[in-house]
Amino acid sequence: MPLVPLAPSRSTGYNSPVPPVSQTIRVKVLFFGRLKELTGRAEDSIEFADATTLEQLFALYSARHPDLAKYRSSVVASRNQEFAAWNTPLRAGDEVAFLPPVSGG
Amino acid sequence: MATLPHDDLYQLVREPIDMAALAQHVRAPEDGAIVTFDGFVRNQSHNRATLYLDYEAYESMAVAKMREIGAQLHEKYRIHRVAMVHRLGRLEIGETSVFIAVSAPHRAAAFDACRFAIDTLKRTVPIWKKEYFADGAVWADGELPPTPAATPRSESAS
Repeated sequence: MPLVPLAPSRSTGYNSPVPPVSQTIRVKVLFFGRLKELTGRAEDSIEFADATTLEQLFALYSARHPDLAKYRSSVVASRNQEFAAWNTPLRAGDEVAFLPPVSGG
Repeated sequence: MATLPHDDLYQLVREPIDMAALAQHVRAPEDGAIVTFDGFVRNQSHNRATLYLDYEAYESMAVAKMREIGAQLHEKYRIHRVAMVHRLGRLEIGETSVFIAVSAPHRAAAFDACRFAIDTLKRTVPIWKKEYFADGAVWADGELPPTPAATPRSESAS
């Protein structure tokens, strides 16, 4: 692989431009039960605009996995291991989970 | 949240549940009664013969929710100790999936608390079971946990 000479621009230095932290946040997202099967993953890490709500995050995944949308009415969401209202805004470092109806016991 | 007595027990396990040991764990000289609940794998579901069940959990949240139930039990009932254990992974017919033991000075509180504990566990603890049949598998019908109502934007204390 040819070496590309480092030519730092005056404005950004050696680092590639990174959006200001206030604009995007990264959260961990967990899927369980049939939602895990639908998305094909138990865990994801995703970056999006600050203050995105749980509802908007679920919609984002539904766009990638259209089958998710039909389960929306039978899913609850949690934020940092507490059940949370769908209009809850997310913060950097949050742990979100989408949970199907529980069936322990 | 009330603090829990340190001799209560709230666990997720992957091995068979030792019910006698748990009943012994909650037993104390000042008590007069222990009520236990043993939930085990049924051999059929909706008239289909079950082969086995597979349980999974959001483990850290599940234990936290089990402890919340315990705190509620101590607030609501005059009980002494609680042991609440749920097993995960593959369970065969007849194997215990959940076991709850509650001790109390008098039986009424132990009965009431044990009933409240299993009913609340089934509604609020993030555990799921997949039922395997000869011709396929399904996620069991479950209950949707109650969630906070949508609120105007305000940071809840967390």
